[in-house]
Amino acid sequence: MAGAILLALSVVPAWAAEEHSAEQFHEEPPILGTLLIDRFEHRWRDGENSIDWDVQGWVGGDTNKVWFNAEGSKPVDGDVEEAEFQLLYSRMTSEFWDAQIGIRHDVRPQPQTTYGVIGFQGVAPYFFDVTAQLFVSEDGDFSARLEAEYDLLITQKLILQPVAEVNVSAQRVQELHIGPGFNDIELGLRLRYEVVREFAPYIGVNWERKLGETADIARDHGEDPSDLSLVAGVRFWF
Amino acid sequence: MHKTLPGLSRRDALKFAGAVGVAGVVTVYPGRRVFAASDRSLDLAVERTRITIDGETSNAISIGGSIPAPTLRWREGQEVVIHVTNRLDEGTSIHWHGLLLEGVMDGAPGFNNYRPIGPGETYTYRFKLRQAGTYWYHSHSASQEQEGMYGAIVIEPAGRDPVRADRDYVVLLSDHTPENPENVLRKLKVSEGYYNNNRRTLVDFFQDAKRDGLGATINDRLAWGEMRMDATDLADVTGYQFLVNGKGPLDNWTAVYNPGERVRLRIINGSAMSIFDVRIPGLPMTVVSADGQNVVPVKVDEFRFGVGETYDVIVMPTEDKPFTFFAESIDRTGFARATIATREGMEGEIPEQRPRAILTMADMAMAPGMDHGSMAGMDHGSMAGMDHGNMPGMDHSAMPGMDHGSMQGMDHGSMQGMDHSNMPGMDHSAMPGMSHGAAGSKDQAVGWADAGTPPGAKALSYADLKALVRNKDLREPTHEIEVQLTGMMSRYIWTLNGQKFDEGASIRVAYGDRVRIRFVNTTMMAHPMHLHGMFVELENGQTDRMPKKHVVLVPPGQVTTVQLTADEPGEWPFHCHLLYHMASGMMTRFIVEPHTASL
Amino acid sequence: MRLSTHTLGAVAALITSTGLLVSPGLAFAAPGEAGHKHDTAAIGEPAKATPKTRTIQITMGDNFYEPETIPVKAGETVRFVIKNTGEFLHEFNIGTTAMHAAHQKEMAMMVDHGMLSATGVDVKKMKMDHSTMPGMGHSMKHDDPNSVLVEPGQTKELVWKFTKPATLEFACNMPGHYESGMVGKVNFQR
Repeated sequence: MAGAILLALSVVPAWAAEEHSAEQFHEEPPILGTLLIDRFEHRWRDGENSIDWDVQGWVGGDTNKVWFNAEGSKPVDGDVEEAEFQLLYSRMTSEFWDAQIGIRHDVRPQPQTTYGVIGFQGVAPYFFDVTAQLFVSEDGDFSARLEAEYDLLITQKLILQPVAEVNVSAQRVQELHIGPGFNDIELGLRLRYEVVREFAPYIGVNWERKLGETADIARDHGEDPSDLSLVAGVRFWF
Repeated sequence: MHKTLPGLSRRDALKFAGAVGVAGVVTVYPGRRVFAASDRSLDLAVERTRITIDGETSNAISIGGSIPAPTLRWREGQEVVIHVTNRLDEGTSIHWHGLLLEGVMDGAPGFNNYRPIGPGETYTYRFKLRQAGTYWYHSHSASQEQEGMYGAIVIEPAGRDPVRADRDYVVLLSDHTPENPENVLRKLKVSEGYYNNNRRTLVDFFQDAKRDGLGATINDRLAWGEMRMDATDLADVTGYQFLVNGKGPLDNWTAVYNPGERVRLRIINGSAMSIFDVRIPGLPMTVVSADGQNVVPVKVDEFRFGVGETYDVIVMPTEDKPFTFFAESIDRTGFARATIATREGMEGEIPEQRPRAILTMADMAMAPGMDHGSMAGMDHGSMAGMDHGNMPGMDHSAMPGMDHGSMQGMDHGSMQGMDHSNMPGMDHSAMPGMSHGAAGSKDQAVGWADAGTPPGAKALSYADLKALVRNKDLREPTHEIEVQLTGMMSRYIWTLNGQKFDEGASIRVAYGDRVRIRFVNTTMMAHPMHLHGMFVELENGQTDRMPKKHVVLVPPGQVTTVQLTADEPGEWPFHCHLLYHMASGMMTRFIVEPHTASL
Repeated sequence: MRLSTHTLGAVAALITSTGLLVSPGLAFAAPGEAGHKHDTAAIGEPAKATPKTRTIQITMGDNFYEPETIPVKAGETVRFVIKNTGEFLHEFNIGTTAMHAAHQKEMAMMVDHGMLSATGVDVKKMKMDHSTMPGMGHSMKHDDPNSVLVEPGQTKELVWKFTKPATLEFACNMPGHYESGMVGKVNFQR
């Protein structure tokens, strides 16, 4: 017993002398990042064809991330019509969900508008990737967007991705040509082939329909509130 | 100080082995250095190198100039001195896996006042060998182990070895990726299932529907979908080359024997991430040692092999023919292969790979908040005597069509940490939506534990392990430490008790305490849990012959308990030995505090 | 019920004794082996000790013998005094490699049926007539003259006459013991 105590005592300075931190072991959890060009596609339609994109990326650790979203559209032979950027702080709130807060800036359409954003992003049961965002513009207008997508594996490399998006506005925003209530709904179906995980060409269809007063405004401007297009593009990430 | 034997032929090596027979048979691989038992001081340099496996060359890190590192053959009672020189441009370390030693010699940076060996520095390890058996050594820094920093340790007993063999070979299994390990971890974190090329597809859906019926298949997919879990997630990383003593399946490492000889294979799983099913078709193995500790010999045809574990087996081939040593990773993405033959250059038949298991809801039994609501039509009829005693957050409310008819004597009282580990006669086959349709059939293995063992063959189970020497400390544990194995697969965050290493609380026990550690695996993966500095005694049904282990493989959805006498003061790493699990947080400090305060 | 068991046993014993039923286990015996009733002539024969008989002390441990080599002369009778210092049941059995291989199967069966445990002999079960057991076509007893079972702490004797030179081993055929090296050589000297 005495020997045991002696042993114990002799070992004390070896390990109890200082407060340890994890820093000596595996370095601090590494800062990681990724950039996903989820959609970069050509759209063929009855009217003018366009190039559309949807990009997201993040930099950070397990819990805290700086999140970046961008999407937009440009007629093949024209200037950019839509270009939206988001910069968000994203924080893990549960295994499958991140809460996000930040700003959104729409360079197009004109006038350029800046919004505050609050929302969440994650994986809902049954593997739906869901993004839900609430916006308040610099003019105090409220709007919201809900987006969901799903990867259906036909084979390990052939993946069918249905996407749905809906936009809602709390009020009429004259200069952006939107009315109160549901503004539009967008449904897409894309079939991609993952040559490698990081690179997948795809084809698909995309259908957008403006709704309610927003549709009326579109018609007043001589636009078709309904837009059906065939798409082909690439999805890639780093 | 060490003797090198450059260019030694096998014949010479065997002669040499004969000459030093007193010190035990020394296995010499061509072109490999061997440290004979008399060498008590040696130098090992850590340096970047290239490794060629089956003709493919990639980056690696070697200890002592080879991959695997030289086998260290020592004798119990010796004091050994090892000078490790770091020739990398980053810190490194060497951990002596399974050895009982003073904390600072354990070689885990950040613990016991041990610091990484800086670039250009030499660190001198010095410790007395207090045990005999098969162990191994590897880097404990970042992911260097994955890159080749591992080697075997063989310690001959001071007294008589209860095992006699004519040949003695180290069989060190490992997994090698040509990818940079840091990149592997990044991909795991940014893209769930990145390495899983066996996810369930629509094609599988139709096949399952044909076999199990459409309703059952839909229920099954809904159940997994509701939990956002993947039934095919057996291993996180693929793209591995599986090695035996640094050789790929084509390189075909060969152990030579003469018919009738006893051949001792000291099998070590030095993989970063790969759990194997090991067998030698046509040659039964008698397991004589587990994790370096002698066990009552048990004859088996195969065994499941957790990362970090070791098994010594005896094989007695009597015919003059080649036998294939075959170790399949449990996700069946490949295999390690070697040959046991009467001469070099022989090749045995390579067996067909077994089917990959599909996980079931039983593998998720410990998942927090597991909702049994989706288990429609589940038949609990045969769950007599089941202890529902501790089930946290289980929702039984929505189980349509359940037959609770004969669930006698069930206690649903306070459900936390439910123990499914001993449900005799529980019939999972009656759970629709569990993909059990072809349980045990050749094309589909069901549940993590299903290794596809053919009828009549004997697979080693932990229950078969019985210490050859009686346990010394037979006191009942005075308290229990619950260690929940937790994680978020989708984010690739792995934790103990829900906390990452850098945020978690340490486990503290007093010196001399007898404690029980209760591993509750809430995840869908098996975790080989490794404690440094001390052996744990596995509660496997033995009373005074519990096997002593340094790694305990805890299956998914299961509870495994061990006992421990806290007789090594210090601050010991306690972690999952899957490298990327440890790197992403599945580690804590196990502190054995000196009992000074109360004396 | 009782009667029928008896009757069955008797019938089985009769069949066995008339050699009509061949144990599947015997199929594993090497050619020339006479199965359970070993043809001990080739390996020697049991003998009676006289004051002149040489004694060899054998110590059993878990799981090994000390010594591991026994020097004998052809025609010599040896009295083995076998002490089990281990904690498990061990056997001292003189035979050829093939005989041991066959006997290992029988021993494994005895362990499976509870006649032998890791630490001892269940005398009651051992005395039972096991002839009706599948795969045991004969009355299963551990009563070979060339073998002795020694329980932990016990010391037993075996007197054996090595009639003519042969390649012999002394071995413990308890499951796993032979494989892990509980075997020694009989060295015939000139």
